This record gives sequence, structure tokens and C-alpha cells, in this order.
Amino acid sequence: MIDAATWAQINGEYAMPPDAGPAWRAAAEYGFDMSLVEDALRLTPEQRLEQHQRALDLILEVKEAGERHAAK
Amino acid sequence: MPQNDKAILSRLKEQKVEFVIIGGVCGVLHGASLVTLDLDICCRFNRENLRRLEVAVKDLHPRHRLTANKLPFELTDHLCDTLKNVYLNTDLGILDCLSEVLGVGGYEEVLRQSIPHSLSYGEFRILNLDALIASKSAVGRGKDLDAVKLLQAIKERKAQQNELL
Repeated sequence: MIDAATWAQINGEYAMPPDAGPAWRAAAEYGFDMSLVEDALRLTPEQRLEQHQRALDLILEVKEAGERHAAK
Repeated sequence: MPQNDKAILSRLKEQKVEFVIIGGVCGVLHGASLVTLDLDICCRFNRENLRRLEVAVKDLHPRHRLTANKLPFELTDHLCDTLKNVYLNTDLGILDCLSEVLGVGGYEEVLRQSIPHSLSYGEFRILNLDALIASKSAVGRGKDLDAVKLLQAIKERKAQQNELL
């Protein structure tokens, strides 16, 4: 049986860490997906840069595809 | 147009350009989950260092990306003595080089407020979190102020974990 809190998290609700400070809470409430930040903070700086590069490559690829489509 | 930050950073390192990583990539290195489309650095604007920068990007068809005619990046002593910033488009992506950072100061102050980061292709200096927050706050655009909220959360978390800021 899945409890209500777990069900909400499955559906995307962020589980605020119990030790989250005011700035962390404010960023989460502002709309940042703080689970992504938690993941990033577990990485080394080099891994963060590599992850960023992959995201950037994808964005630029989609952007170029959009420009090619618009030019047709 | 690709954006290969690692390749650009490696070239700058190879040519011993004196610089500090600032801006969005600096935020990423600190752990911010943001995507930035360019590489911003603050570097020493003297003839020697700018010539090193020129060599680092020489074969990448560097152009002043904000000029209407996309003028090629070709230095003269006069340019070295008068340039304040260099905004480049290269075959490896965008590289913006600033002589000072709003909210922080000139290169020496930026260097003073930087911390080392070791990557597999060299050791680089990046703005510390407080200075990065100060610079983003000073610029004050919507996206910068959004980033400030995230960076303050990261600062708080790192302080809780006694990590280097």
C-alpha cells in the first residue's frame, strides 16, 4: 500500500529534506527542482560540467532542428 | 554552433592564459542545475595575457560576436591597451572575456575571491560562491536573480556540510 506522501512524490512533489534551511526552502518554493540540485551536489565539479555539456548539446541540437524546420 | 566549454578551457590552460571562470559555468561547477549557452571568464587585460588568449583561439575563426560585421579578433598593441571586454564567437562556441566583474571588481579582486577547482585537464580558478552571488545580484536581470536564489540555497547547504564555498 502506497501512503499519501509517497504517492504525492511519485507524482512529482518534492520531498523537502528535514534539515533544509530557509534558502533551500525558498528556492524550492520559487519553483526550482531541488532534487536536481541535490543530484548535482553529489557529483564532482567535473561531472557537473560534463552533465551540463550533455544538456547544452541537446538544447543546441533541438534549437538547430527548429531553425532548419523554420527555414523550410 | 557547438559550445564545447571543456575544449575552450583546455586551450586557455595550454596557453597559460590567466583567468577565472565566472558566470553560468561557474554556477554549474558550484552545483547549480542551470544551463548556460556561453563561457564567461574574467582575465587579466594586459598585452601578454591577451596575446596568449589570441593564440589559444587563433585557429578557431574568432570573431567579435557583438560587432555588426563580426570583425575578426586580431589584436594590436593599441587594442590590447584599450580593450575592456572581448566577446568572441569561435568554432568551439562563445567565449566572453571580461576585465572586471560587476559587484566584485577588477581581475585582481576577482582572483582574490576565487577558489581552485581541479579538473582532469587542469586546475582552474572559479569565483567563490559569495562573489558569484554578488555578481549575479549586481547584474540584476531576471535570470540572474533567479540564479541567486539557487546559489543561496547551495551556499546554505554547503555551509551545513562544511564544504568549501
